[in-house]
Amino acid sequence: MSGVKIIGLLCNWCSYAGADMAGTARMKQPAALRVVRLPCTGRVNPLLVLKAFQEGADGVLVSGCHPGDCHYNEGNYYARRRLELLAAMLPALGIEPERFRYTWVSASEGARWTEVVEEFTGRVEALGPRDGGAA
Amino acid sequence: MTELVTKIQEVLNEADVVLGWVHSAAAGAAVPAWFHNAVEAEAAVFDSTCVHNLAVHLPRLQDRTAGIVAKGCDIRSVVQLISEGQVRRDRVRIISVPCPGVVDVKKVWRCFGYGKKLIDAGGQVEMEGKTAPREEILLWKCRGCRDTAPLISDVVVGDPAGVAPPSPAERTGLRERFDAMTPAERRRFWQEQFSRCIRCNACREACPLCFCRDVCTMQTREPHWTGGQINAREAEMAQHIRINHLAGRCTGCEECERACPVGIPLMLLLEEQNRAVEKLFGYRAGTDPEAKPPLLVFDIDNDTWDSER
Repeated sequence: MSGVKIIGLLCNWCSYAGADMAGTARMKQPAALRVVRLPCTGRVNPLLVLKAFQEGADGVLVSGCHPGDCHYNEGNYYARRRLELLAAMLPALGIEPERFRYTWVSASEGARWTEVVEEFTGRVEALGPRDGGAA
Repeated sequence: MTELVTKIQEVLNEADVVLGWVHSAAAGAAVPAWFHNAVEAEAAVFDSTCVHNLAVHLPRLQDRTAGIVAKGCDIRSVVQLISEGQVRRDRVRIISVPCPGVVDVKKVWRCFGYGKKLIDAGGQVEMEGKTAPREEILLWKCRGCRDTAPLISDVVVGDPAGVAPPSPAERTGLRERFDAMTPAERRRFWQEQFSRCIRCNACREACPLCFCRDVCTMQTREPHWTGGQINAREAEMAQHIRINHLAGRCTGCEECERACPVGIPLMLLLEEQNRAVEKLFGYRAGTDPEAKPPLLVFDIDNDTWDSER
């Protein structure tokens, strides 16, 4: 066990289904990720990410449908702007930008999902747990 | 009778109230004042101690016609409020004043001590015989000001073109130290800063764009984003909420930082966010009354930063 805690905010229609597919296919992936299922990445209030860090997360991964594939047509377009701005703000807030990633994984991309989780977990493990607890 | 007083009196013919400044001997500086008639307006002044952003009062004055004496940067706040539907253009009369920069009251106190009359003599600022170079005690936002020309106005006092904005400043002092910190050092820095917060919400009250009043997310308990406890953890989350809600809306007026009684450098975060908004979305808040806020729209073809990550 690496000891890092990672929160995954996943959209119900693509990335959650992709992660489910990876599980069904018995693909191996790191166990540091705790998944929260959301209706859409458009539901991701940037404060959810900051709150996760405050509550002790060492990394936060947001994943949804590829641009153009949103179940609600445009949720991930709004998310993209919000999350990019959040990513730009993290260093000033005192959070290493490597601890946050947002990406797109479709329901058929089980293999890509494991790659994303492995890459991100490796990145967060390299940084180690955040000191002190509160954000 | 100065030109400013005359123009305010003219505006009072069609407005119920005009927001401006009078000089206060007790404060040694200008303080905000509401002028209801021509006699009250005779005391109106504008000088480099008129730091306050009076646009903060406008959303609550929509039941009448209000005039406002405004610097170029204050007008940006008015424009932003108009674009968000909080202020009706036909309910506000903007009296634009030429502004060569206003002082940072905290820097003045540090240089000269508290509560003495400040004299602005061209390039220098003088208080009871002591002088300081003007640019050293100006607000950070005034250095390299891009807003000396009024974006919109109904009445213009003086000649806005005759004002030279103060030169841009190097990022010195606290900003230089902050830039050099690692994320981990910044985390400790903010924990130390927010440990002083007394949760008075002055930052919110002074902000022209924090107009939600009693339905503020900082105070909701459902969902429980942050508690009311006075500690660094809750205070920092409260500030994250405020900054998040000002994304693409903050005009950088520095009122939150000026109002903070314990001197938390909030503008470090808001400046960072404003720079990021301008870089990512090419948007500066309060520069176009017709503009859509950058986080309420998207650009399918050009929003492709994720490919770089």
